[in-house]
Amino acid sequence: MATAVVHKLLHHDRSNRESSSQPNQSSPPAQNDQDMAAMDRDRDEEKHMLAQWEVKRPLSPAQIAVDTNQKMVGHSSRVLRQEDFELIKTLGTGTFARVWLVRLTNPKDGDQNKVFALKILRKVDVIRLKQVEHVRNERNVLAAVAGHPFITTMVASFQDTDSLYMLLDYCPGGEVFSYLRRARRFNEPTSQFYAAEIVLILEFLHEKEGVAYRDLKPENILIDAEGHLKLVDFGFAKKVDNRETYTLCGTPEYLAPEVIRNTGHGCAVDWWAFGILVYEFLVGQPPFWDQNPMKIYEQIVEGRVRYPSAMSPDARDLISGLCTVDTSKRLGNIKGGAGAVKAHSWFRNIDWDALYHRKVQGPIVPHLRGPADTRNFDEYEPEPEGREEYGPEMRERWDDCFTDF
Amino acid sequence: MSLPPDYSNEISALNREILKAQPSDVLQFCANFFLRRLESQRAEFLLSQQHSSQKGGGMAESTFPGNNPFGTSPSSGIITSGMHRLEEEEENDTIASPTASSFPRTNMENSQANKSGEGSFGNFGGFQASTNRSQGLKSQPPSAMDSQSFPSNYNMNRRTSVSAESLNPTSSLHDNWTPPYHQKTSEQQARLRAAVSGNFLFSHLDDEQSAQVLGALQEKPIPTKGIKVIQQGDVGDYFYVVENGAFDIFVNKSGKLEAGPDGLGTKVGSVGPGGSFGELALMYNAPRAATVTSTEPSTLWALDRVTFRRILMDSAFQRRRMYEGFLEEVPLLSSLTPYERSKIADALETRKFPAGTTIIKEGDVGESFFILESGEAEVYKRGIDKAVNRYKKGDYFGELALLNDAPRAASVISTTEVKVATLGKDGFQRLLGPVEGIMRRNDPSKLGMDDGVDPLAKGR
Repeated sequence: MATAVVHKLLHHDRSNRESSSQPNQSSPPAQNDQDMAAMDRDRDEEKHMLAQWEVKRPLSPAQIAVDTNQKMVGHSSRVLRQEDFELIKTLGTGTFARVWLVRLTNPKDGDQNKVFALKILRKVDVIRLKQVEHVRNERNVLAAVAGHPFITTMVASFQDTDSLYMLLDYCPGGEVFSYLRRARRFNEPTSQFYAAEIVLILEFLHEKEGVAYRDLKPENILIDAEGHLKLVDFGFAKKVDNRETYTLCGTPEYLAPEVIRNTGHGCAVDWWAFGILVYEFLVGQPPFWDQNPMKIYEQIVEGRVRYPSAMSPDARDLISGLCTVDTSKRLGNIKGGAGAVKAHSWFRNIDWDALYHRKVQGPIVPHLRGPADTRNFDEYEPEPEGREEYGPEMRERWDDCFTDF
Repeated sequence: MSLPPDYSNEISALNREILKAQPSDVLQFCANFFLRRLESQRAEFLLSQQHSSQKGGGMAESTFPGNNPFGTSPSSGIITSGMHRLEEEEENDTIASPTASSFPRTNMENSQANKSGEGSFGNFGGFQASTNRSQGLKSQPPSAMDSQSFPSNYNMNRRTSVSAESLNPTSSLHDNWTPPYHQKTSEQQARLRAAVSGNFLFSHLDDEQSAQVLGALQEKPIPTKGIKVIQQGDVGDYFYVVENGAFDIFVNKSGKLEAGPDGLGTKVGSVGPGGSFGELALMYNAPRAATVTSTEPSTLWALDRVTFRRILMDSAFQRRRMYEGFLEEVPLLSSLTPYERSKIADALETRKFPAGTTIIKEGDVGESFFILESGEAEVYKRGIDKAVNRYKKGDYFGELALLNDAPRAASVISTTEVKVATLGKDGFQRLLGPVEGIMRRNDPSKLGMDDGVDPLAKGR
């Protein structure tokens, strides 16, 4: 056990240490008990700092924009490792990642109740599924935006030989998806509230960060303990700035026509998906659907949305502005950007400033028994055994891609 | 004795709220807090009630949208009539989604009935066997497709994200990639063109893209009967068009091809010359939705996703860069930022005219601006019997239309077949606002002037 720990420490120590909190930067890897103890102290301090982080959020837009190495959250940690966290329960799974509810091992006084969501990605699976680029984008975008009131905060990231880790704040309310499916549909004030918080997220991502999110859907939106939204899963998020990008990604029902046709896409895809999302909030299902995915895509490029007769004219006007096939006419992408969306009459009751500062009461405040309550999350199958190993050849070929993690 | 944990949680939540809001009337604030807590807990409870006692009622649309007590807004309380209605609301969450292991049998049979051989089937592109709800699959009532009624059979499961290989146009320029080309007779080309013409993935292609895609299709002989060209559940990378021969299509309810005599599952259709299958593979790598086997020696044409998407990407990329380059040459637009230029490039529309077309006419009201993308054109003015100017690739004209409604100062007539990129004044303004404001940016006399006061400035 002890040797394993030393091995891990050595491995981390070699990997490009640049943390300024470490005084002896150029010294050789820890060799004696004294260095070991210093290392442990660093780790304990870092764990304590992370546990106390919540008190200080949310950051103002100016604070978020600070270089990620200076910011108190979102940094790449050279001292944390999986053993610092006790895995409590799976919160979600993907094709190459699993998210766990975790608490700190050996917590300091006052940190005992602090929980996080830890996203674990196995390098083998990331490589096999050709997601290396997406995973790097995800970490970098999350680091850049950490501290935004409605985006999941990546407190830190780290890695070991086999896996990549993203330590995220835990959002105990669960997915908007679950509430929406249970309710079948949201009423108009509820839809407006959630839609408005999403508009603030997209405005920030597009206009402050130049980032296209590319996977908007109710499954990726969580409700926090106070009833506000948190956007999660930045696996497809990409800093595009003013260049278009071409890789097809997203969720079938939410793909924009220009993604399907491969003519190049940018932030405008999020406004399309936002229109689909508002429609799904109000109607209970997205506008384009078929059992056969190719038929969905055919409908999307056709772009004819049918509205239930009971939908309010304002809502209809907003959705048809967003779900416009021609990007040069799409609301959100045309002159005014997100501001034009915010000015739409469907949002006339929203106080945008109060909303950003979380002063508006959310329509659903989850009922919770303590900070580690997982009742709002579904049960997931345990992790399958006997996965492929991340062997020396793979390490040789791929580890350079992960150095910043 | 310690306090009950539920109580402690409520109190600490209240404490947080108090700290945040700093209310002057503490008692009223606390009372409001607990009322809200009660309200949201009650709403959640009622929902779970409703969820566990589903009834068929056909009320699904009638409660839309405003009277659902779920998620009560800050201003609204719990409405009794709303609760009543909620209980009657229909829930229908048994239908499989495009991401479930289902197969659109009805569509398949329909297209088989349609014997025109126009490549019309192939609608089982793929599925993701991530959720296994095919047991609960209900047959879709015909009324669901009817234009007035809304399909109430939407899949209620979590939807899986999809993605294709990352494609990077800049590296492809370094690679000097050219699409593969496989020689075909003109009859073969015509047949292929007809076979894919009904497919929306091909119908948007321009002539050049279309020629490249058809050229890239590769012949694949299938020497005997009984060969499984694609296997249900396998990864899908290729799209196929049948040149000659015949194939049967099978679906196994388990979602994948299994061993043993019945492993293929049920035969759901067949496909012959001019037919095609597996087109979802042109979008991303999804497991195959069916198994296709040859029933006689046959010939197929095959196209892989990366080639297809790269052809589309490269031509789109080159066209955008070309347009951006052209736009940089227009003095009227010289103050556009690169971001604005790329937006305008994105909005430019390509149009083709045969030789001898009058593209703009002297004296007409100008509404659009043109860039000559290929071909040549001549400029004429009234009273002068020969051309006063010639335009070639990269030249632009009619740009003053973006600025004002003055009549065209000359006519432009194509001398060869031409391709132009064009944008209307309304399109320009929709994206960037009035062009006057943009021009004003590099007018030194306006420096330091407050934009908000200037009626011509770009409003932002």
